[in-house]
Amino acid sequence: MNFIKRALLSTKAKKGRTILLICIFSAILIFVLAGLTIRSAALSATESAKKSMGATITLSTNKEASFSKSTQQSTDSSATDSSVDPGSYSVTPVPLEDATAIAKLDNIKSYNFLSSTSAGATDSITPISSSDSTSSSTEESSSQSQQGMPSGGDQDSNSFGAGNAQGDFSISGVLTTAAADDFSDGTSKIVEGVGITAADVDSNNVVIEETLAEANDLSVGDTFTISNPTDETVTYDVTIVGIYSSSSSSDSLGMNFNFLNPSNTIYTSYTFANTLKGDDYTGTIDSATYELSDPETMSAFVKKAKKLIDTDSFSLQTNDQAYQQMIEPLDNVASFAKNIVVLVTIAGIIILSLIVMMSIRERKYEIGVLLSIGESRVKVIGQFFIEMFLIMFVSLIIASFSGRFVGNIVGQQLLDQQTTESTSTSSSNNQNGGGPSGQGQGGGRGVSSIVSSKTTEEVASLNITLSIKEIVQLGGFGFAICLLSVLLSSIGILRLQPKKILTS
Amino acid sequence: MLSVKDVGYWYENKDNSLYENVNLSFEPGKMYAILGSSGSGKTTFLSLIAGLDKPKEGTILYNDKEINKIGLTNYRKKYVSIVFQSYNLLPYMTATQNITTAMEISGSIQPTKKEYATKLLDSVGIDNELAQKKVTKLSGGQQQRVAIIRAMCCDHDLIVADEPTGNLDEKTSKDIVQFFEKIAHTENKCIIIVTHEKEVADACDHIFELKHHEFQVIK
Repeated sequence: MNFIKRALLSTKAKKGRTILLICIFSAILIFVLAGLTIRSAALSATESAKKSMGATITLSTNKEASFSKSTQQSTDSSATDSSVDPGSYSVTPVPLEDATAIAKLDNIKSYNFLSSTSAGATDSITPISSSDSTSSSTEESSSQSQQGMPSGGDQDSNSFGAGNAQGDFSISGVLTTAAADDFSDGTSKIVEGVGITAADVDSNNVVIEETLAEANDLSVGDTFTISNPTDETVTYDVTIVGIYSSSSSSDSLGMNFNFLNPSNTIYTSYTFANTLKGDDYTGTIDSATYELSDPETMSAFVKKAKKLIDTDSFSLQTNDQAYQQMIEPLDNVASFAKNIVVLVTIAGIIILSLIVMMSIRERKYEIGVLLSIGESRVKVIGQFFIEMFLIMFVSLIIASFSGRFVGNIVGQQLLDQQTTESTSTSSSNNQNGGGPSGQGQGGGRGVSSIVSSKTTEEVASLNITLSIKEIVQLGGFGFAICLLSVLLSSIGILRLQPKKILTS
Repeated sequence: MLSVKDVGYWYENKDNSLYENVNLSFEPGKMYAILGSSGSGKTTFLSLIAGLDKPKEGTILYNDKEINKIGLTNYRKKYVSIVFQSYNLLPYMTATQNITTAMEISGSIQPTKKEYATKLLDSVGIDNELAQKKVTKLSGGQQQRVAIIRAMCCDHDLIVADEPTGNLDEKTSKDIVQFFEKIAHTENKCIIIVTHEKEVADACDHIFELKHHEFQVIK
């Protein structure tokens, strides 16, 4: 243990050298710790993002296949029939049988069926109007109609075909409201009564927005009548089983169309939505969403599910793209942080090795004396290692106190940069991606906006903290730097002969 | 105690050897001087018997064991102490610490090393106050005395000294030589001093002179 004592004495005696080495080692360890904490925080945020996003798979019509099939048919028939619109395509609704078969697969946490349509108002209920002046709205609508645009707020202007007809109310047919996007992400919540559940299948039960309920003086248990979107003479009595509140607001498009106003969204069972759409839609849905209990099983799940459906007509979309977009800045930060750790560690080993080498050259005489009085080379190297270890220990304490702050500053700067890049890329993609996809398919726009808001939330919540794990990791890196730098520089000691040192 | 048998040493080739077929014996309780002019190879000879270097030919036996077989590091650690002309003390340590360090390295069985070191230092005129100072704060004579005590304290039977008085004034040199005599005669140590000073050599029991690549017995 004599060499430990010598190391202590030497460290204490050579204060200048010790302080210099502490400063250098601290700087190295601070950067290593910053890298470790940033990486840890980014990985933690990624994990959290994964949990918050879950893994959702959507079964819906394969629009691309439908469109190309339609285009092919259009090309084939163009020679004989010039009236076929090359830009139109027919959508095949998803058979309920297929959606149910997929729902029976393993690893499904929850699932939902979606079937959306619209409905017209009757005397028993008035939709929430987005415009203050009915007359001006009507005039504008009329003007827009003349220009070929769909008009809003006018009950008489329903002119769309079955399943897509414009009405006063947007009907969201679901299996359960709890699994509907707006409810699962907290945008909407039941404030009175209950939501739609699987027990409401084949019933006329509905859940309406509280503004709509207040405006029409309706409450849970009341009934009102809505009309078929394509034939207003066909009406349906519906019963209110729940009232929900929604924090979503109408956009400029919604100002012109009542059915786009979030307050005019009525939730009901998918079976009743199908009834409104017509007999052709019985036993079908627009789409189905499946939330998996383990996101890791997504690929396997999709593989199994594809065997159960006609992939030419239907597609299974995973939320992987949204998830990837969400974690991209975090991945970049984590990757950069990992590079920081590796580069700083290598640089640290090189810098400290050079310093120790120079120090050993200066201490050749001391080494010679120790060897001449019978000290072994291993113990001489051990003394240098202990000296470096003591310096590392002090540096570790300094780095532990300051590394977190450096990590916060560097991490935040990196994150801001990555988020800005990601946001600009994302907005550029959105602009290229076209306009709103409409509410009819119950997905596109809603999911995008949720993903966007969640991304911002997750990225902003990147929290760089210092845990025992990081300190232990830092200690490990410090120990490795310490050991390697001493070993590299000790190659010279092994070659030193006491006689040559002492007689030179 | 220490036998040098047929030892030869050269740096580049045998034709320019420093010496060949050297046969000498050293006994405990006696002080030996090795005289020679500068560059004659006396310090190299001391390196060989101190285990700092290996002879090119021949063997060196310590208590009838080849020092190569003992292992040079082990030999230096357990059996031989060296006093250098330039003291070779550890500069970041006090006089006491230099001595206790050597004791610990050699595996000294002294139970109270610090007290023992202080007592030995006091016996050569290094009082407690000086003993607690960094060796760099001591004079040349004081440092040499510390170096001698460091060699003594390890309880090694063989002490080799390379020009121990080379850097000292006449009076201090005399004191040091007397001190060596005392150690050799009262503590039954074998002391081999390499020197070019005749006064130092005269104080020794036996004198070998390295001249014309050969050791000659003068006394």
